[in-house]
Order: sequence, then C-alpha cells, then structure tokens
Amino acid sequence: MNVNSTHQISRRLGLILIFGLAALIMTYLSYSLPRLLPGDFVTAMYAGSDVTLTVDQEAELRAYYTEEAGFCNYLLKLVKLDWGYSYAFLTPVSALFLETFPWTLLLLGTAHIISISIGFIAGVEASWRQGTRLEKGIVGGMTLLEGIPEISTGVILLLIFALKLQWFPAAGAETAYAEVSFWVRVLDIGHHLALPLITLVLAYFPGNFLLARNSMMMIIKAPFITTARAKGLPDRRIRYAHAARNALLPLATRFGLRLAFMITGVLVVERIHSYPGLGTLLFNAIQARDLPVIQAVVLISSLMVLAIILALELVYKIIDPRIEYER
Amino acid sequence: MNLNIKNLSVIYQNGSHSIQALEEVSIDIGHGKCVALVGESGSGKTTLGKACMGLLPSNASWKGRVNINGQQLENLDESVLNEMRWDKIAMVFQNRAGNLNPVHCIVDQVAEPLIQRGFSSRKQANIKAGKILEQMGVYREYLYRYPHQLSGGQLQRVLLAMAMILDPEIIILDEPTSSLDALSKLFISEIIDQFKSKGKAVLLITHDLEIAAGLADTVHVLYLGRILETLPASDLLLKPLHPYTLALGRSYPTMTTARDLGGIKGDVFYRLVHQHGRHDQDKYRHTHIQVPDSSHKDGHAPPFGCLFQSRCTQAINRCQNENVPLEKIGDHMVRCLRSGIADILSLKGVSKSYGNVPALYPTDLILKCGELFCLIGETGSGKTTLAMILAGMLKQDSGEKTFEGRDMDQWAKQEYQSLARRIGVIYQNPAESISPRFSVFEAVAEPLKIHKKAMSRESIQNGVSRVLARVRLSADPSFLKRYPHELNMGAIQRVCMARALILEPALLVADEPTSSLDPSVQAKVLKLLLDLQIELGLSMFFITHNIGLARKIGDRIGVMLAGRLVEVGPADKILSGPRHPYTQLLINSARGLVKNTFKPGSKEIKPVGCPFVSRCPRHKDLCREKSPEMVDLDYCRVRCHFPLTVDHLYEN
Repeated sequence: MNVNSTHQISRRLGLILIFGLAALIMTYLSYSLPRLLPGDFVTAMYAGSDVTLTVDQEAELRAYYTEEAGFCNYLLKLVKLDWGYSYAFLTPVSALFLETFPWTLLLLGTAHIISISIGFIAGVEASWRQGTRLEKGIVGGMTLLEGIPEISTGVILLLIFALKLQWFPAAGAETAYAEVSFWVRVLDIGHHLALPLITLVLAYFPGNFLLARNSMMMIIKAPFITTARAKGLPDRRIRYAHAARNALLPLATRFGLRLAFMITGVLVVERIHSYPGLGTLLFNAIQARDLPVIQAVVLISSLMVLAIILALELVYKIIDPRIEYER
Repeated sequence: MNLNIKNLSVIYQNGSHSIQALEEVSIDIGHGKCVALVGESGSGKTTLGKACMGLLPSNASWKGRVNINGQQLENLDESVLNEMRWDKIAMVFQNRAGNLNPVHCIVDQVAEPLIQRGFSSRKQANIKAGKILEQMGVYREYLYRYPHQLSGGQLQRVLLAMAMILDPEIIILDEPTSSLDALSKLFISEIIDQFKSKGKAVLLITHDLEIAAGLADTVHVLYLGRILETLPASDLLLKPLHPYTLALGRSYPTMTTARDLGGIKGDVFYRLVHQHGRHDQDKYRHTHIQVPDSSHKDGHAPPFGCLFQSRCTQAINRCQNENVPLEKIGDHMVRCLRSGIADILSLKGVSKSYGNVPALYPTDLILKCGELFCLIGETGSGKTTLAMILAGMLKQDSGEKTFEGRDMDQWAKQEYQSLARRIGVIYQNPAESISPRFSVFEAVAEPLKIHKKAMSRESIQNGVSRVLARVRLSADPSFLKRYPHELNMGAIQRVCMARALILEPALLVADEPTSSLDPSVQAKVLKLLLDLQIELGLSMFFITHNIGLARKIGDRIGVMLAGRLVEVGPADKILSGPRHPYTQLLINSARGLVKNTFKPGSKEIKPVGCPFVSRCPRHKDLCREKSPEMVDLDYCRVRCHFPLTVDHLYEN
C-alpha cells in the first residue's frame, strides 16, 4: 500500500514536471515566434496613412514601441501577472483579454455542448436504426455537411438571415449602450449569438454525429451487447448504459481537442459575424502588429491546450476503467 | 416446465448465399436433466443456444418450434420474450474477452437484471449479487473490479453468477469449461450438478467430451446443423454407434485413453444454400458443403444423402443419394444408412480342433469397421488359430463367419479371389512367408498380378513404390532386386506388410506384425497404419505380446486363454481395470510387478472348470466344477465366475 502510494505520488510529480516543462517551452515560443512576423507596429500603423515620418521620428517611435527586455524579463512579468500594455488600444492586455474571453467562451462552449450532445444522441439512435432509409439519408446528408467549411455556411447564413430576411443582427455580441433589464439583455445576447452559434454547430455537429455512429456500429457487434440483450434488459438501458457508454471515449477525445483549439477554431466565425471575442482580438492584433497582445493570446491558447490535455487524462480515467490499470 | 425444441431450422441469409446453421433439430430437456450438445465448431451448437433465447441476429430466419416452459417462442411478443429472458431461461455465454461490458464493474453487471426489473433496490441487488458471486467462488475483494482485472476462470464464474441471479429454470451453458484448469473444471461441473439437483433444465454446449459424458444425461451429436446421433451420455466415449461420434471420441484426449489421438479426415466449415442463374428459368436452389479445398463451380450437382459421407470411412454408394432418417437403435438415435458403425466381420460359435486337441472353443467375436482390435494372451492360447480363421486361411470346424455382410465360407467357395482382395494378411514368421527365390519387387508386385489390379509395367511399378514408401522402405532399383536372404528381419517384415497392403484391403489381419522392427521403425509404421485407419477406415486385427503396444494403438482388446476369449472390451477399460484375474496377471507381468509365477505343471488344464483355476489366487469350488460363461459387464465381456471389481484394483 505504502509502496504503491509513493509510486503514485512520484508518477504524479513526474507528470506535473513534464507539463511544466512543456508550458515553459510554449511560453518561449509564444514570446519569440510573433517577433518573427515581418514588419512592426510602426510600419503597420503608418504604412497606410498619409502621414510621412522622418527618419528620426520613426526611430523614436520604434524605440518607444519596442521592448528589448529579453525572455527572462518577460517571464518575470508573467509571473507577476503583468501581461503588458497593448500598443494599439493603450490598455492593459489583461483588460482586453477579460473583455473578449467571456464572449468566446459563451459562443464556443454553447456550440460545443449543443453539437456534442445532439450529435451523440443522434449518432446512438442512428446506429440503432442502422439500415433504414431514414438513417441512410441522414448519414449521407451529414457526410455532405461535414465537407462544407464553416466559412461558407457562415457567409450563407449571414446573407440570408441577417441581410435578406433581417431576422438576426449581422454583427456584435449585444446592442451597444442599451440600458435594459437583465432578462431583456439575456434575450438580446441570445439574439446576437444565434447566427455564429448556428454556424459553429453546423460545423461541429456532423463530425460528432458520424463519430458517435461509427463507434457505436463497432460496439453493437460486441459480445457484451448480446449478453445484455440476453439478460432481458430494457432496450434503452442496453443502448445507453451498455453501448453508448463505450462509444463515449473517442467522442471525449474529439471534444477535448476541439476545445483546446478554441481560439483558432473560432477565429473565422468571429470575423464573419464581427463577434467581439478572442478570435477577433487576435486578428486585429496581428493586423496592427500589436506584439504584446499577440504574445498573450498565443500564450494563453497554448497553455489552454496543455490544460485541456491534462484534464482529458483525468476524464479518461473516469469513463474508461481500463486506462489506469494498463499503465 | 422445460425446454422443447422441435424441428428447428436456422438459415443465416447473406445476399444470394445463405448458411444453413441448423436443420430440423429436435431436443427435449426435462426438469433436473442435463442435455449436452457436442460437435465440431461450425456445427451450429451456439446458434441453437441463441435460438432458444430468441437472440438470433436479424439476418437469421428460423422455422420450427421452441417451447419454453409451455410457451411457444414463435408466438411470443418481443416484450414478453424480453421479460422471459434471464428470468425463465438464461445463458452462460462462451467465455471470450468482451462478454462483459468493460466499463462496468462486475457486481453491477451481475445485479443489473434485478435492478432493471424492479425486483429490488440497487443496494439489495448488489448484496444479492455479491452473495451469488461468492457462492461461485468470486470473493468480496473482486466485486468492484472491472472485467479486465479478472482472470479467465474468474470471468467464467462471473458469467455463471450472472446467469443465476434471477434463478432461471432453464440454463444454457456455452463451452463453460473451455480454457479452464482441471480444478476450475471440477468446480463448474459441481455447479452444473447443483443445477440438476435443484430441478433446473440444463443445456450444455461443449467440446469437452469427458464433461459431456460425466455431467449430461443425454448427448446430441451435431454435425453441420443436423443431429447425427443421440445417445446416453455414458455411451459417448465407450459405445458410440455413429462413425462421427466414434471419430470425435478418438480425437479427444481423456485421462483414461492411452491410445494415440486419431482425428477425422477432411474438414468442413459450413453448409451453403444458394441459387444459380440470372434468369428465372435456370434458377435453382441447393445446398452444398463449404470445405477448405472447394472450388465451387457453377451448376455442380447438389449433394444429397448423408452430410458426413465425404469424411466417413464406411460410406457406400447409397450414402451419396439417399435421404438419411434418424433411426432408433437400442437407446440411441442414429442418422446413418448403415445403422451406425457396421460390422466388418463377425464370428458365431466358431471352433477348431487339430485332431483331438481343441485349439479354439466356440467363440463369438465381432469386428467393427475401422477398428483396431488387439488380441493378447500367452503362447498356445489359440491366438494364431483365431486369426487365421478370421483371415479365411483356415476353415473352422463349426460355427459361421460373416464378412461384410456375406457368409464367408460361401464367398470363399464361389469367388475366393475377391474375398482375398479384401483381407490382407501378415504372417507370424516374415522370413518364411516370402519365397526365397522372389526379389523384393516380385514379392510385393505378385498380388497385383494375381488379382489383375494393375497390368502395365508402369502401373505395377508405381503401385509397388507407393506401398513401399508407406512402410518406409526404399524404392531404389538396387533394393528392389534384392532377395530375402540379403535383407535383415526388419526389412523383410516390412516387405510382408507392403505385400499385405498393396491391394488396399478392408481388413488387415496381422500376427505380431512389428515384432522384429526396431522401435523407431515400429513407431513410424504404426503411425502409418493409424493414418490408414483414419483416412481409409482400414480395420485391423493384431496379435501382439506387447501390451504396451496394444495400449497405444488398440481400440479394443481381447484376451485369450486356452482357446477361449476370456475378456473383450475397450482398450482403456481392460487395461485400467481388468476384470479377469488372468488379464490382471498379464498386465502386471508386463509391468514387471509379478515374480516367480512359473511352477512346473501349474498350467495343467482340466476338461471341466475354468482353465485358469490352477493359477488363480481367487478360485473357489465353483471354478473347478463349471466352466464360466461370457457375461456383459460395464462395456466389457468377461468369462469369469467372480470378476474383479474396481475395489480389487486399488487393493493391489
């Protein structure tokens, strides 16, 4: 027992060490890579304008907007939770982040939860009705939908429902400057959320559906399903407690990885629908060569990947008892 | 309240091809009875089990009637059937990885039916499941483990416990003992015995013939979806009537049989049902058997007749095109046109004396097709006389003999040649049985010429070299030209053997055929003879003094004493538990357990009484006065007033 627990602790420590090292490498990359972008803030700001800078002015500006403090300094600041100032917005990066992140989380989280739960249930039910005409049609349609990128669905939805029919707003996350009660605000947010959300759900749902259906198809043939049927269990019990429970694992992986690549995944949709989330922030920052913001967003998204992979490890152990034992 | 299956046929549809898994199978299992289903894989055993549960896959179509506790399965609504499953009829599935759900712990899976049917709360159900698991030998610390954390034997116990949770009246066990150690097997068979004593009906599907023979009341032998034989379980290994049952028994290693494992020639997978032709007019439907080397040609003739004919060693022309009904023979039901394993030769009251010296007292003996019979006994007991009468070389004084259903004496009188072709003989003294003026080639080829089986020089040469290869002799020209005096005894004996085998006889009678072979050649030659037995169904009658050899190759053993057969029976019965004191003496002498038995004058035989009386330690007055008759005793026949029992065996 004692030996076992010591062994476990040392294994945990090793895991933390490895993840810490990975985080450090990520930090270094997110610090150094954005610097390799051609051009800088000064050229980005003045390149398109009529104002012509003298050489002295340019050098002065450049000196102002360039921090050559080095990686160690950057790391130290990070530890003190000092993310630096945005060149373009002249506000702390952390404030920008806190402003945009909730919107992204709302959009993406909702999209994922909806697409994974509906996709899973639809996949399970479809696999149970395998071979019927309806099922075949749905699977065909889903395969087609899976091939359409979110950029086209987003644009089409925008054209039809926002511009033509004007059912939904075309941009933003809520009506600006409105002083309204809580519930009206919630409705307003929902109204703005609808189009980007539908775009994302349409993008993620078919994959989840097909994955759930395919893993179910394998599991339905497993001997333990026959055992469950022989036991005279209710049909729904067999479908969910026995079959679907085993189909969960590949879906959890997909969910985790999709969530991990949240920011890049949401960038396109946020741009199309001008949704004020992290993706839009990153896009603007790159355009303006706003180095501190780029660094922060890249760093945060990479750390998020790490965190989610770590979380997945734990989730796996819960949903599949075989995993811990095999190590 | 039991399980009745009547004329059940199952076909798995698979496009235009379909597989006939079961055909008109009828099985009855009453209360407290255990019925075993044996047969090779692909014979439809598991399909039958699943059919009883109503669990056939969607591509299976079935006909016939399955009656569970008085309810007709085919009339039941799926929801009613689902209620019956596990509650009335439960199945222990074949223990493979994946019969249990990998993500639920075992106690939950065992308790699940109780909870889902609302019989008890989760907590109570888990307690009950824990109790049953404990009864099955899965202890408390394992309850919350997952299937992958248990060993194969433990999983088997979990499956058993799971089937027991609702206390069903009918239990189907699919290979419950495969891949289990001897102790776990014993445990499982005790559990099955408990089921029986609780009045449950048990259907045992198994490859394990020993378990089937030990636990079941009745055994059904299934082959390609048909029942070939139904027999009392105790007869399964000792007195099968169908050639397939015999071949299965020969292939199964038991703890008592010392004989080399046989096998069944050929191989089959399943039966295909298909339909040919693109246009309606040349569409026809037929079944054929899928075998490993089949190259199925369009429009081939559909096979009629016996399913087992291609692998049967006693198949005759009728077997190919006549329908084979299930026929009642004694307490067996046999599906064979020849009424089970045929007799190749039978003697009735055959006796022989030389002048006034009786050599053979009236003797009855039946040789079965494809059987290897070993005759043992001391010198001068009449073994060779019996063998020569069998071979048709010697005419008996009285009694009659029948060979392949024809009276042998008549046959010999009318066309001796055709009879002689069917019986090959190897004589006791090899050197004297070959003419010294014949070369090896001439000696071996002679039967071919006499019987005009091969006329051209080339075909004779081919025949000779093939048979020489069989007895492991060289077919080199220089060897073929040699004369007997140039050969050693081992080679001469093998030349005799080649001579006896070259006409491909149905029966080989051999008087100590391997006595002068060295052990390595003897092993090879015997292996070859056993192969011939499996491939061609060659029947053999061997005289031997080597009891170890008889033990290794004999299906049955006969023991001779002073012109009488004193004990006949299955080899393992005779050798592990001799009933006649003389047999025991022979076996013990062979084992080196007996010393100083030779006393001058002790072999004196009086005309009345048992011939063994002067040497028998157990003789009583009756033995001196009356000659004992042959009596049937536990699959053997013994000529003794006071046969030994199993207890005597352990005394020694």
